[in-house]
Amino acid sequence: MNNKTVEQLNIGESGIINSIQAPKEIKRRLMDMGFTKGITVNVVKKAPMGDPIEVCIRGYNLCIRKEQASNLEIRNN
Amino acid sequence: MATICLIGNPNCGKSTLFNKVTDMVAHVGNWAGVTVEEKYGDWNGNQTLDLPGIYSLSPYSPEEKLSRRFILDSEPDLIIDVIDATNLERSLYLTTQLVELGRPMILALNMQDLLEKEGIKIDLEQLSKMFHTRVVNISASKGTGIEELSRAVNKTLADKKIPSCSLFAPPLEKIITQLIADDFMHVAPKAYPRRWCAIKLLEEDELFLERMPPIPEKLQKSLADSREKLIKVFDDDIDAIIIDQRYHVAEDITKICEFKTEPPQKFKIDTILTNRFLAIPIFIMVMASVFYVSISLIGGLTIPLIDSSITSISAQLHIFLDSVGVIPFLSNMLIDGIISGVSAVLTFVPQLFILFTLLSILEDCGYMSRIAFIMDRAMRDLGLSGKSIIPLVIGTGCTVPAIMSTRTIEHPKMRKLTILVTPFIPCGAKLPIFSLIIGSFFQNAWYLAPMMYFFGILAIAITGIISQLLDRHKESNAFILELPRYQMPTLRNTWVQTMDRTKGFILKAGTTILLASIVIWFLSNYNFTLKEALPTNSMLAFLGRLIAPIFKPIGFGTWQASVALLTGIAAKESIVSTLSVALQGAAITTLFTKAGSFSFILFVLLSSPCIAALSAMATEYKDKKLFIGAIAYQVGLAYLASFISYRILLGVF
Repeated sequence: MNNKTVEQLNIGESGIINSIQAPKEIKRRLMDMGFTKGITVNVVKKAPMGDPIEVCIRGYNLCIRKEQASNLEIRNN
Repeated sequence: MATICLIGNPNCGKSTLFNKVTDMVAHVGNWAGVTVEEKYGDWNGNQTLDLPGIYSLSPYSPEEKLSRRFILDSEPDLIIDVIDATNLERSLYLTTQLVELGRPMILALNMQDLLEKEGIKIDLEQLSKMFHTRVVNISASKGTGIEELSRAVNKTLADKKIPSCSLFAPPLEKIITQLIADDFMHVAPKAYPRRWCAIKLLEEDELFLERMPPIPEKLQKSLADSREKLIKVFDDDIDAIIIDQRYHVAEDITKICEFKTEPPQKFKIDTILTNRFLAIPIFIMVMASVFYVSISLIGGLTIPLIDSSITSISAQLHIFLDSVGVIPFLSNMLIDGIISGVSAVLTFVPQLFILFTLLSILEDCGYMSRIAFIMDRAMRDLGLSGKSIIPLVIGTGCTVPAIMSTRTIEHPKMRKLTILVTPFIPCGAKLPIFSLIIGSFFQNAWYLAPMMYFFGILAIAITGIISQLLDRHKESNAFILELPRYQMPTLRNTWVQTMDRTKGFILKAGTTILLASIVIWFLSNYNFTLKEALPTNSMLAFLGRLIAPIFKPIGFGTWQASVALLTGIAAKESIVSTLSVALQGAAITTLFTKAGSFSFILFVLLSSPCIAALSAMATEYKDKKLFIGAIAYQVGLAYLASFISYRILLGVF
């Protein structure tokens, strides 16, 4: 079974990043913004059409598309 | 003279600090990516450089690349790392990279005024110890701590204190040390510190490798071995390992220096503004009210007032000049040329002032990033992204900064498309033309002015759909954007930003428009033998008639309209001034048919922008073919749209 990703989180839920599965450039960008292993991501809100989504990490808010959210695998349980 | 670079994360307040210390007016706003080019200023005799914000020294978009180039190549005597103190951890991630540049550095902890509200305390002494730098508390917007910063600058310029910080995990540190000691490292550029070069070689940083001579085979091999070892130890790729290590350092330092108490829970305005159902209607309402207030409400009030006073002043002036015996050539030039042309433009100052004020508030409060957030999905279907909406909103003021702001769009294809469609949004200078035509031909059609924005958006949608159909290599791309906290726009800042833009508009009326009005007046009153002539026999009429046939099929093949369009290339406002001078007091209704007048404003809306915006396009495209293609497309689409609307309207009227 595939690991759960940030995309599957509902509004208000959080998860801890386990790994980032994305093309090199996008992975770098996500990591530069602070998405590193062991960091807690909290889903704050979704845009009118459910995409992109607003998340909170390291005490600040940013938005990413569903596609990038699905690149962010989180720890089980 | 020393060089000082201001660097830091996007939206951390670099430009606000820059404006404070240099007394200049750099554009500021509350979203990531307001500053897209370098700006020089003078601070106590030191050359000070404001740069676009970056999250790391591995840049993605053009404006970030520019920052990295400057920070590396301008060899600054001092780096001021501006830190959003409410966002310490992520800011320090960049600091860990700046430290490696081996240049004297100061940390300026900005947004002190917000810290208490957020329940955060930072131990400056500890932070200063951790990085071996001076650390200063400031609030750029409130103007506190600036003197202390200034003292720290002088001290650091004198003692050239070089920063350093804690190291990475031992396996990585060991390899970096080995690399620095490697004999072959001498091929790396001397200007850069060894540690920086070693890390960049490990990361295979493309921008760095471009600067390197071919790397000797032995070094290649030792690098490959090192990478393999690290990948085994950390079970991740090299980039990820290094970023991870940097964030660990940033986390550790933050843990030591920052004390957080739970901030009081407040009502969040965002729950309404980006609500799933209300967000888009609210956005449309916000933009509609911006235009309603500035154009209909204020414009409707001031334009007739100014118009009538100018008419009476002109008449009085005429009588006065005749009575004191000024030669007709001069008095005519003054009244029919200069006053008629310049005032046609100045009439619109009040409504543009209000438009610029409202746009500045919009930019300042933090709503721009939310617009990008809520519109991203819809924009994606047009081959654009949420970030494309920011240039479009700015473009309602002026197309030039709008086109420059496309630099924050990382993806080249998307950026090029955004540049192509940004001029379709009518800028402030096109509004006078719409007002003139709509006011003269369609008095009761209040809906026509907003319709112009709608037609602009329609042109963007059509262009987007065409580009999506033609695009054979669709790539998925990321949209990652920080959502800053909302803030109350300050009166002072709104005033300064608005005045700066309004002044620009007035200045143009006093220079470009003034000159054009004199030339147009002369050309329309004299023939080729330089004898006074009726306008219809003038040089201008002759020139206009040369190109008028082109516009015949779309309903305005008169020489006056043709010449007005030509002068519109210099500045869109001059279309109104040219018409006003060339008409010589005749009513504009004699110049167009109803259908033709509508076709005319549609053509003005969609055809290429003014010379300033064209040169901004050329700069951003950096490719002649692309630039010419874009102009051809804009003019072609304008012609086609005008042709179709003219043919349809001919049947209606």
